Amino acid sequence: MRGVWKSFGSVAVLRDVALTAATGEIVGLLGSNGAGKSTLVKILSGAYSADKGEIAIDGEAVRIDGPRSAIAHGVGLLPQELSVHNDLTVAENIFLGDLPMRRLLGLPAVDRAEMARRAGTVLKQLGFDHIDPGRLVLSLSVPEKRVVEIARAVAGDARILIMDEPTAALTDQEAKSLFQVLRRLSDQGVSVIYISHYLDEVFEICDRIEVLRDGVNAGSFATETSDHDAVLSAMLGGAVEQLYPEHGAATGETLLAVEGLSVDGLLTDVGFSMAKGEIFGVFGLVGSGVESLGRAIYGALGPLDGGSLTIAGRPYRPRNPRAAKAAGIAFVAAERKQEGIVADLTLRENLSLPFLDRFGSALRVDVGAEKAHARHWIEALGIRARGPEQRIRFLSGGNQQKVCIARWLVEGMALLILEEPTRGVDVGARKEIYRELRTLADQGLGILVLSSDVEEIAGIADRAIVLDRGQVVGRSETPEEPETLMAMAFHEAASPDAAQEARA
Amino acid sequence: MTTQSLDRPAERRHFGELMGKPWAGVAMLLVFYIVLLAAFSILSPWFLSFNNMMSIGTNMAFIGLMAAAGTPLIIAGGLDLSVAAIAGLAGVIVALLNAAGVPIWGGVVVALFIGAGIGLLNGALATGLKMNPLIVTLGMMSIVSGLALVLTGGLSRPLFDPSFNWLGSGRFLEVPVPLILMLIVFAILWWLMRFSRFGRHLYASGGNAEASRLIGVPVARTQIILYVISGLSGAVAGILLSATLGAAAPTAASDHLLTVIAAIILGGTSLFGGRGSVWGTLLAVLILGTLNNGLTLMDVSSFWQDVTRGVVLLLAVALDIVRTRAAGE
Repeated sequence: MRGVWKSFGSVAVLRDVALTAATGEIVGLLGSNGAGKSTLVKILSGAYSADKGEIAIDGEAVRIDGPRSAIAHGVGLLPQELSVHNDLTVAENIFLGDLPMRRLLGLPAVDRAEMARRAGTVLKQLGFDHIDPGRLVLSLSVPEKRVVEIARAVAGDARILIMDEPTAALTDQEAKSLFQVLRRLSDQGVSVIYISHYLDEVFEICDRIEVLRDGVNAGSFATETSDHDAVLSAMLGGAVEQLYPEHGAATGETLLAVEGLSVDGLLTDVGFSMAKGEIFGVFGLVGSGVESLGRAIYGALGPLDGGSLTIAGRPYRPRNPRAAKAAGIAFVAAERKQEGIVADLTLRENLSLPFLDRFGSALRVDVGAEKAHARHWIEALGIRARGPEQRIRFLSGGNQQKVCIARWLVEGMALLILEEPTRGVDVGARKEIYRELRTLADQGLGILVLSSDVEEIAGIADRAIVLDRGQVVGRSETPEEPETLMAMAFHEAASPDAAQEARA
Repeated sequence: MTTQSLDRPAERRHFGELMGKPWAGVAMLLVFYIVLLAAFSILSPWFLSFNNMMSIGTNMAFIGLMAAAGTPLIIAGGLDLSVAAIAGLAGVIVALLNAAGVPIWGGVVVALFIGAGIGLLNGALATGLKMNPLIVTLGMMSIVSGLALVLTGGLSRPLFDPSFNWLGSGRFLEVPVPLILMLIVFAILWWLMRFSRFGRHLYASGGNAEASRLIGVPVARTQIILYVISGLSGAVAGILLSATLGAAAPTAASDHLLTVIAAIILGGTSLFGGRGSVWGTLLAVLILGTLNNGLTLMDVSSFWQDVTRGVVLLLAVALDIVRTRAAGE
């Protein structure tokens, strides 16, 4: 792709951008939100058309004027959200666009045997021949579903594969097996364009990194010879300061004490206590219980099956979100679109929603006060929006997340529970969010961060626990290196003592 | 809502922006309504008279009442298909109690309570047991309309009481009483939805129920209240209808369920919740009523009127989709 320009209205999103990939090369495409990455790949995959610019595949100029023509030219796009059909079989998913046919009693019919045979060949090519082509996709794990998507592209003779955040819902191990598939493909001469927020991952899998910033090319880096800082500074456009703020020294009085917390099938006998003014981390791989603990404390799972909790010295029994709110507990869910924002409401309305009773009376909400409130937080957190009346769906993930946090910041809140606080948030906004969390902690708020991103917990938490299979398998009383936390999650499942030793 | 335009640069106010305004859908309906009025005024000499306008209002009042209450319910993520059946039952209850010697206003109160009670039951099943509202209220529709037939043996019952019939055919300052009642209900609901805390909660509940629940918005309570309001509106509509007709017919209202739902959708309310307004519904009710009246004046058979109504509904929804696309959503 060369000299690509694209504007929406009067806003130029891409200005003279180039992107190349050699045969079999894996190219990482990086950039903050709004840098133009998705617009660029949407042009390549036919979802948008460029205002200007040319696309050449194998040295020949091609015209891509829709998703179908992109596929015909061998460009396959794997969107961030899974796009498999759960109620169809693996083979049907792979060949949905081009079903092998035969004649049955003179009528056209799907040739199931041929389809299964060809699906088997493609899966074998990807190193996943243990997946039975006749299985329903419903029964596959998330990474296996990804493989089915890839198989679909490969079966359609894709020469260029575009992947947008393919590991967003995967654990580290699952991501590793996905990487093996990508390497195989690259050996077979398929080029991959790989979009991700995770620098480590990009460095691990990609041969080269292209950075976009504000719609222009901001640098090209061979991963063998460059480091994180160089790439980060190209993304952010300046010297990179540290992503995480300084750790705090938590010496405040106990804010939250949890003993023997159990939820059948999810959590067993979890105990910890955290102080006012502390950022307390909970790390665990996906499925470890890290996605349930915050909800259990917040009451989003209903009453507990066991355990006693106190908040600021007073006994507290999780029942439902309203009771938690009354006890001064706030909760920001991991899945912003499904569980965080109300997309059709404005920024102002989303911001005041949990504490609407503090704005005017029941019969008349004080919109003026709401607007002032919204303006205050837009400024204080650097939320990039047109104004309080912009609908929140038009904001970037990072700015939506800032709204989801800011709406809890009112008088009387003591504990802020955050699930995966920076999932799908670009590096620039991540840094701002971390810094804001530290400021809030310094002001005396207790912050409980639950994350499956080990670097995040290591970077932000003053103390942490590690979960595996619903149990606490490691504790750290000081800020810890990511490797140590990861080791706890992997190896010390049986004995917490071993975790102690590992740290010593 | 117009403050939105103030902080935008002037050059960006192109067509898409205009179409993206919160009031763009309602404005389109208003234009359509005016075109319709103009067309019928030219085509029929009797159309544009005060009395004809008022008779459109009377005819549409009971449908308008149900559509008004149905609008916030659908916006909040619910649905009530039993509302017209409740209207039928309400009239029957008033008539039967009256025949049994209960004073007519006593019967009215009982009918209102039963309407609200059925709404409460709908709400409890839909939110408490998390049953699909379509199924809950479809079942309820069948039960309620069946009961109305059982109670009357399928026959209409006369209902004559001057003060009661005034509700349906009386006038206050030359304006028909049912029309006044309908407009009052629209005004109250508009205020609630536009300005009150409850209104904000209902838009949030329909826009994203799980997110709303997680930040402590009383989603279930909001929806239950709206089911009760919808049931109540059915009872009021049934009482008005039987007062107008001077009789309670068990099936008189149930034919109009589709018109009620059509008005809500035509008015721009999203069936998936989260979006819509009562002004859109009011305009849609007026459009459907005017269409009906104008075509009747032009001697078009009522069978063709059904066809026209369907075409208008499909056209309006298609146009709305084109509009939202133009707004770039």
